[in-house]
Amino acid sequence: MYAVLALVVGVVVGLFVHPTVPDWLAPYLPIAVIAALDAVFGGLRARLDHIFDAKVFVISFVANVLVAAFIVFLGDQLGVGAQLSTAVVVVLGIRIFGNAAAIRRHIFKA
Amino acid sequence: MTDPQRPGRDERFGATGSPSSSMTWPPPTGAGKIGTYVPPLLESLGRDSMDPGYAEAAARRAVDPQGRRPSRASQVIAAAAGLLMAGLLFGTAAGATVSNEPRAEKARSALLEDIDRAQTHQSELAASASALAADLRSTQADLGAAGPLQTVAELERASGSTAVHGPGLRIVIDQGNSGDTSGVGVIQDRDIQLLVNDLWAAGAEAISVGGVRLRPTSSIRQAGGSILVDNRPVFWPITVDAIGEPSALQVRTVGSAGFGRFSSLAQLYDIQFDVTAQQDMALPAGSGAELRYAQGPGPAESGSSGTAAPATAPAPATAPATATPSPATPSTATPPTTPAGSSPASSGSTSPVPTATATSTS
Repeated sequence: MYAVLALVVGVVVGLFVHPTVPDWLAPYLPIAVIAALDAVFGGLRARLDHIFDAKVFVISFVANVLVAAFIVFLGDQLGVGAQLSTAVVVVLGIRIFGNAAAIRRHIFKA
Repeated sequence: MTDPQRPGRDERFGATGSPSSSMTWPPPTGAGKIGTYVPPLLESLGRDSMDPGYAEAAARRAVDPQGRRPSRASQVIAAAAGLLMAGLLFGTAAGATVSNEPRAEKARSALLEDIDRAQTHQSELAASASALAADLRSTQADLGAAGPLQTVAELERASGSTAVHGPGLRIVIDQGNSGDTSGVGVIQDRDIQLLVNDLWAAGAEAISVGGVRLRPTSSIRQAGGSILVDNRPVFWPITVDAIGEPSALQVRTVGSAGFGRFSSLAQLYDIQFDVTAQQDMALPAGSGAELRYAQGPGPAESGSSGTAAPATAPAPATAPATATPSPATPSTATPPTTPAGSSPASSGSTSPVPTATATSTS
């Protein structure tokens, strides 16, 4: 419950405080968002499976975001940034879909 | 999802090595083998959608229930902190996306404003150039020197570098609405060329096509479906203005080949072809001819006159004095003058000599 509240508070603060995103960071924001989405869905599914662990969640969240951003950064330096972005989005997107399907089965039993 | 009451379902860590379609808590008996089995990439992609760390942590807890188990409060705080970060990320990304949108729009409108401002500036400059040229001409006319300068003025008018007005013939032509959208219409560049040549032959003194004044070196061409006059596109309907004695012009034009072609086109293809006599039409000045200066092969001076160029390069004797409209006085009474030693770049050899019907204007 508190966790959901924290998520909502974070979204609201991010929307209204308008933290300025430095230009060098801006290209990695979308990828970081996808990675964070993956971690959140994974955590939700783990919670529904009754195996949620806060440490795992926080570490996987931070690591996912950093690694995804780093992969894209590396790709940008190598000149294959767009392709690596696609790779990250595909992998994380498949995971998000898998987790969302598991959550759906939990909630709707279908 | 796996039923928690059936722990044997998850064979992922089992000795068979054949992963099942689920990998959830509770962990199987073979939990000690965690991490040893590495499934193929695509297989794991479809299956391991949840971070395996959750299962591992749960396995550790199951093995050692009395271990360093973090308190519930710290669990909640950590999860809340993580979700707060995630929420901040989402919110920031959404805010950045929203705020970037008007920025791009703003940049576009700023560029459009720049273009508008530059165009306004350009027209202001053109107007001031016309005014200054008019001043210059009137001053020179006051000073005298009418003889040779009158010739210059006539040549300038013949070359289409001054705006003129007077009575004449207005011909409006338009592609028929025959539904031919293939780009190339019924009327082609050579038809307009023929008509314009017939107008010259009939005694027109100045002609503009689609608002573009014809100079002796002007071209009427076709590029795709559009007509280019002096490389400037003109749009349908095209108005051909010819200044001259209207009745004589009309009589002589009607008998010409160009007129006949257009009338037959009008009959066959239902194009618009209207000829009207006008009492007073204003024709703009044509664009100035491009003056080309001889360049010496020596050190590249920037083409300015009177530089220390080698003797092979003649100093340019013609100042760029074209496209300067004359003052609003009748040209036949007080001819507009130009600086001595300057002349229009093109002498208008094919244009007829102007008569009193064409008067120069600003």
